[in-house]
Amino acid sequence: MSDQKTPTINFKEKAMELLPEGASFEACLTCGLCSSGCPASGLENMDPRKFIRMAMLGMDEELSTTPWVWCCTQCKRCQHVCPMNIDISQLVFIARGNWPQEKKPAGIVRSCQLIRSTDSTSAMGLPPEDFVFVVDDVLKEVRETQSGFENLQAPMDKKGAHFFVNQNSREPMNEPDEMVPLWKIFDMVGADWTYSSKGWAAENFCMFSGDDDAWYQVIKTRVDAVHELDCKVWLNTECGHSYYTMWNAIAKFGMDVNFKLESLVTYYAQWIREGKLPVNSDWNVNNIKFTVQDPCMIVRKAYGDAIADDMRFVVKKLVGEENFIDMQPNRSANYCCGGGGGFLQAGMTEHRRAYGKRKFDQIAATKAAYVLTPCHNCHSQMEDIGHFYGGDYGVVHFWTLICLSLGILGENERTYLGPDLLALID
Amino acid sequence: MTEEARHFETELAVIGSGIAGFAASIFALNKNITTAQVGNTGAVAYTTGYLDLLGKIEGETGAVENPWESVKTLKNNCPNHPLSDISTNDIEEAFIQFTTFLGECGIAYSSPGKTNITALSPAGTLKKTLCLPSTMAPGPKAFAAQKPCVIVDFKGLKGFSGRQVVANLQDKWPNLRTERISFPDMTSGEIYPEVMARALEVEQTREKLAEAIKVVAEAVKVIGLPAVLGMHSPDFVRAELERLTGLEIFEIPTMPPSVPGIRLREMFEQVFPQKGLTLIPQQKVQSLTFKDNEVVLHIRDNYGPITIHAKAVILATGRFLSGGLEAHITGISEALLDLPVTQPEKREDWYLNQYTDVRGHAIHKAGIEVDSSFRPLGKDGKPYHQRLFGAGIILAHQDWIRSRSGAGIAIATAYKAVEAVDNFLHA
Repeated sequence: MSDQKTPTINFKEKAMELLPEGASFEACLTCGLCSSGCPASGLENMDPRKFIRMAMLGMDEELSTTPWVWCCTQCKRCQHVCPMNIDISQLVFIARGNWPQEKKPAGIVRSCQLIRSTDSTSAMGLPPEDFVFVVDDVLKEVRETQSGFENLQAPMDKKGAHFFVNQNSREPMNEPDEMVPLWKIFDMVGADWTYSSKGWAAENFCMFSGDDDAWYQVIKTRVDAVHELDCKVWLNTECGHSYYTMWNAIAKFGMDVNFKLESLVTYYAQWIREGKLPVNSDWNVNNIKFTVQDPCMIVRKAYGDAIADDMRFVVKKLVGEENFIDMQPNRSANYCCGGGGGFLQAGMTEHRRAYGKRKFDQIAATKAAYVLTPCHNCHSQMEDIGHFYGGDYGVVHFWTLICLSLGILGENERTYLGPDLLALID
Repeated sequence: MTEEARHFETELAVIGSGIAGFAASIFALNKNITTAQVGNTGAVAYTTGYLDLLGKIEGETGAVENPWESVKTLKNNCPNHPLSDISTNDIEEAFIQFTTFLGECGIAYSSPGKTNITALSPAGTLKKTLCLPSTMAPGPKAFAAQKPCVIVDFKGLKGFSGRQVVANLQDKWPNLRTERISFPDMTSGEIYPEVMARALEVEQTREKLAEAIKVVAEAVKVIGLPAVLGMHSPDFVRAELERLTGLEIFEIPTMPPSVPGIRLREMFEQVFPQKGLTLIPQQKVQSLTFKDNEVVLHIRDNYGPITIHAKAVILATGRFLSGGLEAHITGISEALLDLPVTQPEKREDWYLNQYTDVRGHAIHKAGIEVDSSFRPLGKDGKPYHQRLFGAGIILAHQDWIRSRSGAGIAIATAYKAVEAVDNFLHA
């Protein structure tokens, strides 16, 4: 641990600057809806209400140094339920950025460094040539081994393609077969898409480290990559914060872009509605129950309920309406799972699991056998708290279930299926 | 990056997400009026869950036992009171429709009775109300029957003290005692009713809590708990706890942030979209544009601009807390349209010297004026616009807190406003 002193921020001044129009600290009743609805309440003896009150009381040194800012996932649920619309997450962002680099959680700092170490912008440091190699290698194997996919495509650096598709580094790095269901879906709907060897990665830990400059640089690399290929749509795949980090940065830094930002979930829904993805729930003969996790980053913090409704449309088509059980609360009011904000990489396992207890209760109350979510951090966190608290649910990607429903899920693409689902395929 | 504006077409737009706004949406749904509702997080999360019609009349001593008779006397005592011109039949119908809707959507309520119920407050004092959630209903009955009862509270839970409840009730309910237990798996630090309620949606938590309750109940058969019995299926959670313990169990409201209000808000947010209503929660309307054939509401959320094109609008934006009224050095104004606000002549007249003065404070009767069709009046004393209607506690001439009539005003005026909208739309 470094001896470098953490500078003190004037939080009251910052808080006043950040107040949205019409919001007021004077009108804060200290009612506690923020803390009551925050899974990080109580960790490090802090909660959102206490944070704001301490800011108003000028307790800047305490706030500048509390490790709680690394437990808050900046999910904005406190703001969502606050009658005064006070955004505490922005204060947390400022506090994070204020920590000396040496004192910040090493996992987040290291991931940000790795992102900036190559043109891939990959938090796992996977360089462009390795990404190209992995995609090519997996593609060859699928073409050789999977009947019906001899001509499967995974275009790379295809200029003028409609979709510029990003990918969480976890796939090419750790589980490359998980990319294949996505390629099959694109193949089936006839999508004009491409990967890029530059700026292809989804994740952005520089945002979580509170480093504005680094955040901007990462997004600039990605924006430049989309422009270079002249794509119409930057298509965010099943990764929550990658959407927010791009979408928010473009507005925050006033970046000039000539493409649209879209989420794959929206297209899943659209392609099913158009009949291009002829999924159905006939396979679910045992009425296996599913619930869905709304990633904060694309629902509450970005699109709002519209994309949450798309997710539910897709899930119901995939598993059968009667086999879908919504978590409560849900959509924009949903709880963060505790995997966001870099918490998974912050090395605060005990706190992260305490935070995740509320998500575990939500899932347990549904009695669902599986949680579907289009977010890798949600995915990892829900798996971890499931094991930790003794849950017996699985977590699956949308692409897995879509391909399962279509009968095109390859043998190596079934990592997240439990015996109940595997039995239905074999 | 270009923003895509979202447009909605609707017959009625309801502005406000308190009890009045939600009630207006319910009545509109019941009349098959297509509706959009928009409003910032309202004060609904602060409710005890009790739906008061009228608990106290200004100038009269004692609490109101029969609100139906007392509403009639408002015409003499407080002729400008928003309830004084609404028939008791309409008020009763409004309460029936409102509570029926809540029951159908998973939060059972008692129907409006002939007299007020004497209910327990979070502090163990008594108050008059008309309807209450089924999870709370056995409490007043046990009190009336003077059944032996244990009030159970929890380590780490602020805002509800069994000791306080018993201290305040000991003269009126001798067979009452209190016990403090740990909530399952939450043994350290501050715990919140919201978190407990959600944990009780899980079977294993209910089983553990049931065991803990059985231990402290001893021979007593009736248990009072703070309102934490589930968030989305409270009646089921209560029934399950009763089954597991073999005891009669009821809820008492807690101090905010409390579960009954969050239950209502989350239920509305779930159910309204399923019923075809366009709900845009957590957003304030930025401005309104009135045209001959429609009203346009301008909103902006995270994702960009939204416009709602409506044939009629109900303004149910509440008072100061919800932002319907704003207090300035120079006076009180209405936030959205700058409608004239009936208010004390001078700022120094807003409050009496003593906070607890029995006469109440003049500022608490500030609000907008409406005509007999619940159309807000403009500066010229005429309806501001034929397409604008008003409901709820933004209406002047009532001090809903002192008269224990908040839900009554919200529900009954929303009912009449929707009736007026229906007449306007379908005349």
